[in-house]
Amino acid sequence: MTIAAETSFVLRYFNVIGRAEGCRMLLTAANANWTEENPEWPAAKEKQPFGRLPVLVEKSGNGDEWIICETGTIERYLARTFGFLPADLKGAAEQEQMSDQHADLTEAFLNMARATRDKEKLVEEFDALLGRMIGEHQKILSRNTCKNHLFGDSLTYGDIAFYTFYKLFIVYMPVYQNDIAGIVKAKMSPEIVALLASIEQEPLLAPHISKCESLAAQLTA
Amino acid sequence: WTEEHPEWPQAKPEQPHGRLPVLVEKSADGSADFVITESSNIERYLARVHGFLPADPKQAALQEQIRDLISDVGVFLGGYVQAKDEEGKKALFEKFEGLFETLVKVQTKLIKDNGNTGRLFGNSLSYADIVSYGFYKNVMIGIVKFDASIPALAKPKLTPEVAKLIATVEADPLVEKHTAKADSLVAAISA
Repeated sequence: MTIAAETSFVLRYFNVIGRAEGCRMLLTAANANWTEENPEWPAAKEKQPFGRLPVLVEKSGNGDEWIICETGTIERYLARTFGFLPADLKGAAEQEQMSDQHADLTEAFLNMARATRDKEKLVEEFDALLGRMIGEHQKILSRNTCKNHLFGDSLTYGDIAFYTFYKLFIVYMPVYQNDIAGIVKAKMSPEIVALLASIEQEPLLAPHISKCESLAAQLTA
Repeated sequence: WTEEHPEWPQAKPEQPHGRLPVLVEKSADGSADFVITESSNIERYLARVHGFLPADPKQAALQEQIRDLISDVGVFLGGYVQAKDEEGKKALFEKFEGLFETLVKVQTKLIKDNGNTGRLFGNSLSYADIVSYGFYKNVMIGIVKFDASIPALAKPKLTPEVAKLIATVEADPLVEKHTAKADSLVAAISA
């Protein structure tokens, strides 16, 4: 699917990895004409459709604006529009499933990190969920003939969601719980580390990756 | 389609991701079944296959963002119901209440802008209509076994437009086979 050349995008979010890194990477991979706004908060809250961020504003050549919210929706919209999700519904569902699982794990992590009671049980449950998630990544990679991608043989939404997941937990989530990066790294196989390094080298992602800390460097340190 | 209620937690390891729901699409030609998990993912897949979510990415996105917002409200509601400490419970309730009110406000506007026919988008049953009904059913009926105070808190926040959405979905011939077997959500919000 193509988009008119004069179309531009604004991604509104906070200046952190948070819940927008996948959106940033998709806009970059799409070679879209985009900028990021970091609104004053909570001053800008009431102006957003759902009072929350991220928000994606798509501007057509004649200045018309089309706006959507919600990380998952923005990611899937960009992925479909720019061809990073297959038109085949079953193939798309496999990739979307993995991303939804990441979101569940993120909620479970935040729940655990913020808990003041019954923490041990939450830690146990989270550890099991994390192990299962990484096991799922391993299974998907093992099934794929091409070892530089999770699905097929070119950059997909799945690859971006996979990279974003590890970047989130290793680079960002330590702010909530300082040992989480170590916990995640300990469960990662060499194949997963190699795949992350490979995705990080994707030419389509270079304009964004070049501005960030290297995730691959943190994994081999 | 049929529904299975596996023995739990015995059936946990047999599920692809150790959790439910799971959708198994049986193949007709003996090839492997297609199995997916994650409720929103299952919903979107079925909705796309059967035309309840438009193929056009923009139109689909407008519906999907409603579902994602609903899921966010659900996270706060679930968190509130499960929270054990007073402070945490209070904070989560405020988050739930605030976002629930946002959801109702957003949906009320959509329904009004769509001709006030009790539909969120277009003029036939949509994915957004269905998942909204499912959510309100959880808030007014499903949650009761976990926290019986929720329906009384939520009911006054519902607008006539949202009530009309609920009634329109419940009466739709397409879902009648299912809604006829279940507790009436229309009755629950009118009680």
